[in-house]
Amino acid sequence: MDVSSLLLLSIALPLLGAIFIGLVAPGDRGSIRTVAFVISLMTFGCVVAVVSQFPTGSEMFATKSITWLPASTGIECQISVGLDGLSLWLYGLSGLLMLTAILVSWTAISERPALFYSMLLLLESGCLGVFAAQDLMLFYVFFEFTLIPLFFLIGIWGSEDRRYAAIKFFLFTLAGSLLTFVGLITLVVSVYNMSDSADRILTFSIPKLTDALALRPLDAKLQIWLFAALFAGFAIKVPLFPLHTWLPLAHVQAPTAGSVILAGVLLKIGTYGFLRFSIPMLPAATEFWTPWLLWLSVIGIIYGALVALVQSDIKKLIAYSSVSHLGFCMLGLFALNRLGVQGATLQMINHGISTGGLFALVGMLYERYHTRQISSYSGLAKKLPVLTFFMLIFTFSSIGLPGMNGFAGEIMILTGMFQKAWHGAEAVGGLKIVSVLAVSGVVLGAWYMLWLVQRVFFGPLVEPHDTHDHGSHAVHDLSFREIAALVPLCIFVFWIGLYPKFFLDRMAPTLDKSIPSAVANSSDLNESVAFAASKDRSLD
Amino acid sequence: MSDNLIILIPFFPLLAAILIAILGPKLLKENSHYVTVLAFAASFVCSLMLFFSVQGQVVEEGTSFESVTTLWTWAAVDNAMIDADGHSVPFLIDVTLRSDALTSIMLCMVTFIATLVAIFGAGYMHGDRGYWRFFAYVSLFVFSMTMLVSVSNFLLLFVFWEAVGLCSYLLIGFWYHKPEASAAGKKAFLVNRVGDFGFALAIFLIWINYGTLNFHDYVVDGQVIIPGVFGQMRLGGALPYVQGGMATAICLLLMLGACGKSAQFPLHVWLPDAMEGPTPVSALIHAATMVTAGVYMVTRCTPLFHASPDAQVTVACIGGFTALLAGLIALTQHDLKRVLAYSTVSQLGYMFLALGTGSLAGIVAGMFHLFTHAFFKALLFLGSGSVMHAMGNVIDMRRFGGLRHLMPWTFRTFLVGCLALAGIFPFAGFWSKDAILASVHDRAYPGAHSHDSQDSEHDADHDADQDADDHATHSVALLSADHAGSNQADSYTNIYVWLYRSACFTAFLTAFYTFRAFFLTFYGPQVIPDESGHHAHESPPMMWIPLAILAIFAFLIGFVSELDHKFAHLLTSTPSLAFAGMHDTMQPGGFHMDIAISSSIIAVLGIALAAFLYLGHQREVEAISKLKLVAPLRALSLNKFYLDEIYTWAVVKPLEFLGIIYFWLDRWLVDGLVNLIGKVPVALGSGFRYLQTGLLPFYSLSMVVAMLILLFLGQVLWGGG
Repeated sequence: MDVSSLLLLSIALPLLGAIFIGLVAPGDRGSIRTVAFVISLMTFGCVVAVVSQFPTGSEMFATKSITWLPASTGIECQISVGLDGLSLWLYGLSGLLMLTAILVSWTAISERPALFYSMLLLLESGCLGVFAAQDLMLFYVFFEFTLIPLFFLIGIWGSEDRRYAAIKFFLFTLAGSLLTFVGLITLVVSVYNMSDSADRILTFSIPKLTDALALRPLDAKLQIWLFAALFAGFAIKVPLFPLHTWLPLAHVQAPTAGSVILAGVLLKIGTYGFLRFSIPMLPAATEFWTPWLLWLSVIGIIYGALVALVQSDIKKLIAYSSVSHLGFCMLGLFALNRLGVQGATLQMINHGISTGGLFALVGMLYERYHTRQISSYSGLAKKLPVLTFFMLIFTFSSIGLPGMNGFAGEIMILTGMFQKAWHGAEAVGGLKIVSVLAVSGVVLGAWYMLWLVQRVFFGPLVEPHDTHDHGSHAVHDLSFREIAALVPLCIFVFWIGLYPKFFLDRMAPTLDKSIPSAVANSSDLNESVAFAASKDRSLD
Repeated sequence: MSDNLIILIPFFPLLAAILIAILGPKLLKENSHYVTVLAFAASFVCSLMLFFSVQGQVVEEGTSFESVTTLWTWAAVDNAMIDADGHSVPFLIDVTLRSDALTSIMLCMVTFIATLVAIFGAGYMHGDRGYWRFFAYVSLFVFSMTMLVSVSNFLLLFVFWEAVGLCSYLLIGFWYHKPEASAAGKKAFLVNRVGDFGFALAIFLIWINYGTLNFHDYVVDGQVIIPGVFGQMRLGGALPYVQGGMATAICLLLMLGACGKSAQFPLHVWLPDAMEGPTPVSALIHAATMVTAGVYMVTRCTPLFHASPDAQVTVACIGGFTALLAGLIALTQHDLKRVLAYSTVSQLGYMFLALGTGSLAGIVAGMFHLFTHAFFKALLFLGSGSVMHAMGNVIDMRRFGGLRHLMPWTFRTFLVGCLALAGIFPFAGFWSKDAILASVHDRAYPGAHSHDSQDSEHDADHDADQDADDHATHSVALLSADHAGSNQADSYTNIYVWLYRSACFTAFLTAFYTFRAFFLTFYGPQVIPDESGHHAHESPPMMWIPLAILAIFAFLIGFVSELDHKFAHLLTSTPSLAFAGMHDTMQPGGFHMDIAISSSIIAVLGIALAAFLYLGHQREVEAISKLKLVAPLRALSLNKFYLDEIYTWAVVKPLEFLGIIYFWLDRWLVDGLVNLIGKVPVALGSGFRYLQTGLLPFYSLSMVVAMLILLFLGQVLWGGG
């Protein structure tokens, strides 16, 4: 089977599985979850098979297009998939995190398991599809498609306040993505209008649109409006301050699997959108909005960290830490240089792994004690040493300890940002303040995470009373299944930390393609000229 | 061969850490220390071999020597930046290890102390629930520390800088069920993070200004592709160092990092709390090795500091002030380990003071003190650990006393350590403390001692032009920098005069508080706390033999190193120190008899005062501390100048308060706005509801009206055109 068919299969498999579990297989909980796990394992097999065949380079690979609207309509709208050095990693991450999500739901979900697992598999299909889509319409379909299963996951299997959280999550992201949709359609139409050849065609193909816009950018004023429209959907997904308020609520209420996927994958769709559409397609607007976005990012970094500091609920603390971490991602993206963008892309994966791991661990804790209140715990290290061990790994990964994944991303983002602030032609005081403030986020990040660990896992042992009411007298340390859910993530924590070059080498050519276009069209002539001049002098 | 050695040295401890982590819980258990001790000993042997190989190379090749080994490329981004000349620069981070004099000296010291501490720790930790965990952490620490001193890149230095911080965090909080221990671990990590904030900023600025983070030149086929920050291209003067405000900014930020790791004011507050960790850890990490990382880093960055006299004087002031402050706090502490902790802070301040003189003599003196201090401070800490072991983990000096007969070996070795710390001839501390005082003195009174310096005919403010022939490689930039440096530095002479006086006073304090602790612990009537049970006794040989070995070194190492100025000669072959601009400053090796005599008198006075007050009845102490004038001062010292409280109320609480305010705003303002927007459709909908009357005439009427409006609009908007 060729690689593009594998790619299609990996998207279709969970979809079919979802239908199978939802409609066909009645079965008991035990067999349903086994089927779901096997399907996601097979999907992951396909994902690995696809990712491992990635040839380093900037070319799109594993492309496949199935005509949807016939060419005679004058509209090029296809079911078109493919991967490049940017989407490949997020695609792989989705496949990996779904295994964790299913394993952490194993015993936690007892209500309507068939519906639950089919929703989870639908979600997987949506996540894999959104990153593989090479057609704008297809992208948007998957983009919205991820909303529905998560809406039900939160609304049905969530905690006390699940209805409010689910509706808020749904409306918030839907409102944003409708604006994005308007923006994307306008984009497509503008490109069509701009072309003056006789056989012009209304194309939805992402690579074609990118190429067309790189060749002939749109009018700057229109770009600025289009950017704002795309921003609405993507920034809410990220979420960028001050559009983040749906996130803590959704995270706290969502079941563990929902939180893992939400934090690990869905938030990345926002940053992915910026990097796939806004930055390469709208260079003039990118330049216009960059200072604003950088400020919002750095405010998010510090604001998220300070609010995380005072949380009494473990999940909420980690949710706010996501606001802070995604601020770093956005900062790197809009540093708009190689270091920043590569660091940001790496950090998208990193955040998925470490925050996914943290949410999984909190879920395991919740399953044992049925509370998320920090104050009801103390000294769990004595009782649950293995859980504590994993908690420490993901904590240190999250606060960017060297040797682990977070460090590689953070240091590249910050170096890129410093370069922008000090070295670019636009080196202005404001950006210097932004970059220094961003570094202080690293200190705050260590503070709230270590304080959490100190309060929950260290000190004299205190267990919540609740456990006895539930009759589960013996609380056991992590089971083999739970360890199996975490170990793959740990492998990536250290792999990326110790040898980020492996990943960077494979994403750099693609990212370079989207960045020089942003640079070349900006007023920053110095840098773009030098870029061109430096090509031959580059070190390999 | 040195290529293999430099890899093997960190490899053994890493292997030990991994082995113990895997096999410890089930298989090794109480035998975990064998793995660690063997690994450390192997590393020590390799370090010694490396040391002699480097020494041989230095003799062979003359002045400067380095050798760089590349393991793998961590990250590479081509064309990452365009430097000032329009060249494109790659962001290239290789995992490289270097061997040179500075590294090999540090490696020998670290692995030697680590071996002895591991042996001691096997006795001390015996029976602890986390026995294997302890040795896994310690092995991981020694791996990180050996890497820290051998990497050849700022980013990797930062990596292991954080890694030793992690080990320190894990080991301080080793007894995590004690709330104080886990709080101290967190405090250490966070205060260090504040320092790392500065270090990270410095690294970014270095990257922007130098276009590389490597220490060494990046060479392909004999051609220098990327000149390193401390590579031969820059050291030789072919390329300039950044000068002016940027140089000062880089150095001060580096110093902020050093302040965190090496516990200097204002970031020293974590070290005394770190004493909550097991005592062998205090000896190894918080006295001998990790806390000296800052001194090592500043020494390594000498060329950067050389470009900024402002930064140098700041380093000297921070060092001098910290030495004094910590000395004053140590006077009144009741906890034996805390006295030693503040003494460590104070001695580290001494080292920075020496580095801050900016002269070669000063830097060598600082490193020399680092070297000797490691031996006698490890000895003192292990000695206090031995006391603690016998006293049932009681370390409050008010609760025990007169232990000299009970613990003869601990007593004798502790005495050696105290004499070395106080700086009594011929113990190790005497030589290094004297070197520091001499270098500060020379900086404060230029010209006063030129007759004593055997290797140098020059003073700080000599005319560089005379020398131009000797240093043909000088660039114009470097020479003018030197001129600017020495001219500007002259205005600082007054500051150094005060620093010298303060350093002498600190020497007095050191002798006093050291022997106060010594007399309180080992003299007076024998007092034993209940916790020790009825079997308080001397520690087993596994514990006192390392003490004895360290005592021998604390006695001899200063004298041996000072023979022929061996230490100075070897150290100055380090590339960072052997650069052209540095030779114009004072040469090392001046032994000042008058300073040696006066500082010895000061030390003896300190011991005498301690003996007067704390031997026998302590009537005088009580009388003095009741004096109106002394009581508030005593409270100030006892409460560590209230710095912890100040930080809590000036930094921690306001930030937490800000977090609460933000959280409140998040809920009511940011989210409130969002909800308000969400209410708009609902409000509209409820408004429209009244239109749905169900009356057919109403609907038809509205239809007609609407069509009229549409027609009218259409006429106005489009019909006209």
